[in-house]
Amino acid sequence: MIIRPLIKDLILPKSNFRKGPRCAFWISILLIALTQTSCRPTRKSSRIIVASAGKITSLDPAQASTYHSLQIISALGDTLYKLGPNGLIKPNLAKALPQVNDEGLTITIPLREDVIFHDKTRFDAKAMAFSIRRFREIGTLNYILDGRIAAIETPEKFVLRLRLTRPSSSINGLLTSINLTPISPKAYKNYKDRFLNKKFIGTGPYKLVSFNSQQQILKPFDLYWGSPARNSGINFINLSNSISLFSAMKSGEVDVLLSNSIDEDQRHYLHKMSKQNMFKEGEGSAMEIGYITFLSNTPPLNQQILRKALTYSIDRNLISKRVSYGLRAPLRSLIPPRLKTIDSNPWPLYNPSHARFLFQKAGYCGTKKITVPLTFRSNVPADKLLALTWQAQVKRDLSDCLILSLNGVESTTIYRQLGEGAFQAVMLDWRGAYPDPEAYLSPFLSCKKINKNICEKGESVSSGSFWADSFIEKNLRESDQLIGTKRLERLYKVERIAAEGAAYLPIWLVKPRAWSQLDLQRPEFDASGQLRLDRLRKIK
Amino acid sequence: MSRKKALLQYSVTRLALIPIMLWLISSMVFVLLRIAPGDPVDAILGNRANAIARETLRAKLGLDQPLLNQYLNFINGLSHGDLGEALVNQEPVSEIISKALPASIELGVCSLIIAIALGLLVGFSGLAKAEGKIDLLARIYGISTYAMPPFWAAILVQLLFSVALGWLPVGGRFPPGLIQPEGSGFLLLDSICTGNLPALQGTIRHLILPASTLGVLLSGIFSRSLRINLGRMLEADHIEAARSRGINESRVVLYHALPNALLPVLTIAGITIASLIGGALLIEVTFSWPGIALRLQEAINQRDYPVVQGIVVVVASLVVLLSVVVDLLVASIDPRIRY
Repeated sequence: MIIRPLIKDLILPKSNFRKGPRCAFWISILLIALTQTSCRPTRKSSRIIVASAGKITSLDPAQASTYHSLQIISALGDTLYKLGPNGLIKPNLAKALPQVNDEGLTITIPLREDVIFHDKTRFDAKAMAFSIRRFREIGTLNYILDGRIAAIETPEKFVLRLRLTRPSSSINGLLTSINLTPISPKAYKNYKDRFLNKKFIGTGPYKLVSFNSQQQILKPFDLYWGSPARNSGINFINLSNSISLFSAMKSGEVDVLLSNSIDEDQRHYLHKMSKQNMFKEGEGSAMEIGYITFLSNTPPLNQQILRKALTYSIDRNLISKRVSYGLRAPLRSLIPPRLKTIDSNPWPLYNPSHARFLFQKAGYCGTKKITVPLTFRSNVPADKLLALTWQAQVKRDLSDCLILSLNGVESTTIYRQLGEGAFQAVMLDWRGAYPDPEAYLSPFLSCKKINKNICEKGESVSSGSFWADSFIEKNLRESDQLIGTKRLERLYKVERIAAEGAAYLPIWLVKPRAWSQLDLQRPEFDASGQLRLDRLRKIK
Repeated sequence: MSRKKALLQYSVTRLALIPIMLWLISSMVFVLLRIAPGDPVDAILGNRANAIARETLRAKLGLDQPLLNQYLNFINGLSHGDLGEALVNQEPVSEIISKALPASIELGVCSLIIAIALGLLVGFSGLAKAEGKIDLLARIYGISTYAMPPFWAAILVQLLFSVALGWLPVGGRFPPGLIQPEGSGFLLLDSICTGNLPALQGTIRHLILPASTLGVLLSGIFSRSLRINLGRMLEADHIEAARSRGINESRVVLYHALPNALLPVLTIAGITIASLIGGALLIEVTFSWPGIALRLQEAINQRDYPVVQGIVVVVASLVVLLSVVVDLLVASIDPRIRY
């Protein structure tokens, strides 16, 4: 064709063909050289870049509910009390522990007088009352108050008084919730009944400089009443997926990485690298539990003996090792050990022989096998791995009695259908709204209307088990009127009854972790499991 | 009827159909979202809020109203240009879209430039020696880039250029630590307009990987299309006639063959632009690119009905408008097209 030489001349001149191999050689050399020198971006800024998964849509304490938004709010705001290392509360914005009067119906809280908001207005009892009232009125998570607060009063400038509808010792734990952090009444004047998503005017060690969905810039607050932040600021960035986060950490693009939403393999890799001194790893108290709910009001799992057999059939150690490389500790209680003063594990250890015995007693094994559909959240990789591992383990140990059939459903659909009794066995996780044992028992076990161990109305219905025990309800109510060891003992008793009922099966504990580059101090967590952003510091 | 009149009539008909099409699309989205399992209240409150809290929030969000009322409110708002508020944080949907759309358009335009340039180059060089080595390589390139899964390619590119070589950032749209320049939302333009050099540099560095990955993946279809159409055109009778009249070969190619061969490429470019406005979902998700597709994915996960509806309506409008524009452009260029 006549056209060919022309196009050759146009696109690839003949001489280039001869030069081609030489060019390719030099390009390869250049590429290799660049690879070796690896021009990674060097950051001169003394600010620290912290990365987390997911987008932050709101920094309003009345609206925020995700782990990473609460993480930032905990750096921008303060709580009245903080959870101490011994599991007891200690004053923070409050000057002393709450004083309980009127047979537990009034709580008086003296407040610090040296606290200033980021807009330079003064913090006082009125500001605190404004914040609690606002949360009670519009808070997305306002159900955690559970109608306990009847009135909020300010008898003195720096004294806050809460009138309760019933005596409630768990209110102490509630007062450590970051959702109740004080906000400036002046700044939120026009936002009493609506959210202010992109600003935050609180009293914390940092003030918000800039907010967008992908990055939040925090600057130390010069007038902070407590110990000042140890760094010159935080850039909190949000990436959409685990691979991006992992890659950003590995390439040195970010200084600190939070473990939420990081895949198990990558967590394990970062953990391993930290052991080899490639990164520094910090871990916080485990406040999140992974568990399975059994539907206890319909056959076959309405038989307690079958549920009990299932609790003996799971090898948590194997699952922890296979799924999370041991990073998620096996758990045999609903209350995280961090919130317990005694070492109690009411759920049984793995025992396939006893599980077989119970299945046989219920009329199964041999020719008649029981099939239990196990639903897991298809968008949570760890859940799927757990389901697959348990299924394989059951096939190995109890194949003559039990078959687990797996069913992946997207989490939002599960949440919607949970209270409708749609799932025989479903895997979920839970993090108490405030650090108190009650926040790990009531949401599972509380029931307002019980009919022969079946809950018809209450938390147990919402949790998808429908299992109830009148003794539990009585104890939960009574425990709220007790304090100290007596209260805890009562709650442990509730947990033991729940273990006997076997409507829930605790699997593992999830510890929050964070990794930092070597030029930073090891990340530290507070007792509530939040990363201390103010303690991050570059080592010179 | 004269060609001009026919074209005008066609344009008016197409434009008149837009509102009907949009009404159908938005109604379909409304119904599909309500049929889909899951509930925005559960997405916001999680799995353990009590029934009272759920009902309170449902009432607050207006989800307790009958479906017909919700639909009429939605259509009424839409007809007044009001897309509503996000259920999750009560942010106006129009604001969410106006923030996310420039990111997608910026990425889309840059990748399209790369795709067209690369596609035309590869398609053209294939003709240098038809059925030769370069042509074979160009064909393999065209097919493999078209067939390559975008998320896989994106992850490979991230691992190579960000993790192993450390040349470019892993994801995001703007360097952490810098404050985004205010303006149109098109960061390249805003950085230039404000004379903010570090911002411009940062924006370009963040844009290179997603734009080139998407560009390379899209270039395959352009290269194949050009190669096939130009090859066919060079064998056409009018080209032979031009050659026999002694017209210079480069003139034959550039003025007689290429314009005709580019017509289908123009149509493909139009469709590609339209699809890119909707966002290259997997690219945006992998590179954490805060565009419209990433926002749509988040809204779907959160069952944020107004945001999903708003994004779909806006994207559908743009797609319909663009396809009309491309049709009219092709019709005005190609005299053979009749209406």
